[in-house]
Amino acid sequence: MSVDLSSTPRTLLVCERSSFQEEKNRVSTQVEQLRFNYKVSLLLPECNSLPSQLESVLDSFTSFYLIKQLPVYELLDKDFLETAVYQGNVYGLSYKTRIDEDNCVALLPNGRLCLSLDKDSFEVLGFEGKPSKFNHRTKSRFVISVDLTDRRMAPGGRGYQRLLTGLKSRLQLQTDFLLSHHPGGGASLQSLLSRCDWSEHRPQMSQRGLTELSCPAVHSCDPHSLLEWLGAVDADVTCENSSSSFLSTLACPEPKTTLSRALSVSVCGLLLPQDIQRLIDQLRCYLQQPRLESWVSLTVHGFADSPVSWGENEHGFLKGGENFYTLLMFHNHTYRLHLATGAHDACPP
Amino acid sequence: MVRVKSRYLLCEVNVSDRSHLLLLDDRSVGAAVKDAVARTHGDYGAALCSVRFCVKYLNAHTGIVFLRFPKRCYKLLWSALPFITSVEMRGQKIPCFLNCLHVGGTIRTCQKFLIRYNTQQLHRMLPKCKNEEEKQQVRRSILNCSQAWGNKEELEGEGESGEDEEE
Amino acid sequence: MKHLDQEEESGVYQRAVLKNASPYHYMKVRLVLEDETSRLSAVELKQFILTGLKTLHGEVGAAINFDLLKYDEDTLTALLRVYSSGLVKLWSSLTLLGSYQNQDCAFRVHQVSPFLLALTGNSRDLQLD
Repeated sequence: MSVDLSSTPRTLLVCERSSFQEEKNRVSTQVEQLRFNYKVSLLLPECNSLPSQLESVLDSFTSFYLIKQLPVYELLDKDFLETAVYQGNVYGLSYKTRIDEDNCVALLPNGRLCLSLDKDSFEVLGFEGKPSKFNHRTKSRFVISVDLTDRRMAPGGRGYQRLLTGLKSRLQLQTDFLLSHHPGGGASLQSLLSRCDWSEHRPQMSQRGLTELSCPAVHSCDPHSLLEWLGAVDADVTCENSSSSFLSTLACPEPKTTLSRALSVSVCGLLLPQDIQRLIDQLRCYLQQPRLESWVSLTVHGFADSPVSWGENEHGFLKGGENFYTLLMFHNHTYRLHLATGAHDACPP
Repeated sequence: MVRVKSRYLLCEVNVSDRSHLLLLDDRSVGAAVKDAVARTHGDYGAALCSVRFCVKYLNAHTGIVFLRFPKRCYKLLWSALPFITSVEMRGQKIPCFLNCLHVGGTIRTCQKFLIRYNTQQLHRMLPKCKNEEEKQQVRRSILNCSQAWGNKEELEGEGESGEDEEE
Repeated sequence: MKHLDQEEESGVYQRAVLKNASPYHYMKVRLVLEDETSRLSAVELKQFILTGLKTLHGEVGAAINFDLLKYDEDTLTALLRVYSSGLVKLWSSLTLLGSYQNQDCAFRVHQVSPFLLALTGNSRDLQLD
């Protein structure tokens, strides 16, 4: 038994620095690999109102659908597979299920279906899977990952039949489900939506103007202080504390300057990596215009309860389930990228 | 076989007036330690201190105490010892402090250390003796120590159990 | 990270992985009181948490530095920042704090993360309907 009270579960922070013009930069793959994005927040220094090009990109984010009480076997429906899964990228994630308590389902854009099940449900379902990496000793959670585009999983195939009967007759798994499709949108999902109780949702945008903001030297600030400062701005926490204050001693990292104003914009919902990629491209255009401050920051939070984080790496919750990245872009096409994960996660790409 | 591991702390109780030492008993020392742990480490420390903590040995003449702590938390409990400033005995509060001399894994290694330590102390006493009679007495005790020790070591060889020492 | 700073202007690809390097942990907690109308000020809340630390971890525990970054008096929700080494002690004493001025209370820990940014984007808060 260990009584070391000062240790905490492991966390990872990957820091990258490069230029968009550098061949080896992998920003677009990294953006694409984080499939289920919950929130995008932007910090635009020395900016009064949202520039129209950015606003139009944010407004054009793909809407997503919430299906109430979706029986999971519907995802294996032949029509749905043919019109949506084989034809493009479907993003699907169970809603209001907690990865550390409930059964979670995710449909990845590459046609993979991921089920993260507790031991009981896994045994009732009777389909091949692996014990979760994060509690392999107790084997209390199992992960099933099948490739729906595989020949074995094509409608009529043996694996397909087994999973279908399992989900239909043995484990009647029902869950609220978030669904989105790229590039088809709602039209490609019609075959599934027509049979369910669904509603359409737009990503929700909110803006907040900030004035007299102290700001660290973003080029050279150490990563943890930088993320702390960005978090403080986002959470609306004041950095103006004296070092002798009883309540809080949080301060902006030195050396600091003062921004007369800044704009913080955030969008929430099930957001697609393709939309975020478009936003990044637009931000780079925005940076090319002459202005007082020559940087912008973009933070993308992933869903904490998604069974996968980056790529197909298994994701767990433990005490935070955080998976997010922050991209800091500069005028001269260079960028700083910080990818962070919590304890139950593999290293980001 | 796995045994329950402990750490034995060999401490010396320092008081201003040596006659007070004779009043010491193991219960009062134990209570003082528990008190200090509860003050510095709160309920958590007090709870750790309630399992398998005991005063194994107390020599009221020299003020030597053996404290037994569970191995997994002895560092935390040890850190509270400097905060002991007095021991309450029979309604009397005696100012004192504990000086830790040695940490061992078994009572045996602590005993070995204690004998060596006492010999050293006797050696130091030797030049301070006032008359020949005292000197003779001290010499005799030193001899006793080394004899008792020497015989033992010959019998057991140099199989000193390194595993019991500090890791 | 020193060598990274020197070449900040060049676009050379650099990658560093920091493991367990976060100096702080951040917690989002809410105090639930039996009498829902009573209110605490920020100073009272911090003092209350300190007494909890002192009971469970003694004077050593009470010496842990933590910051009350943000506090909303209406919902009794607070953002705390604590050195990573003190997280377990703070968390455990929050768990065991059971009464405030003779009324039952409890701390609900909503989110814990080594990054303050993560606390601003909790997908469990997503409300549709």
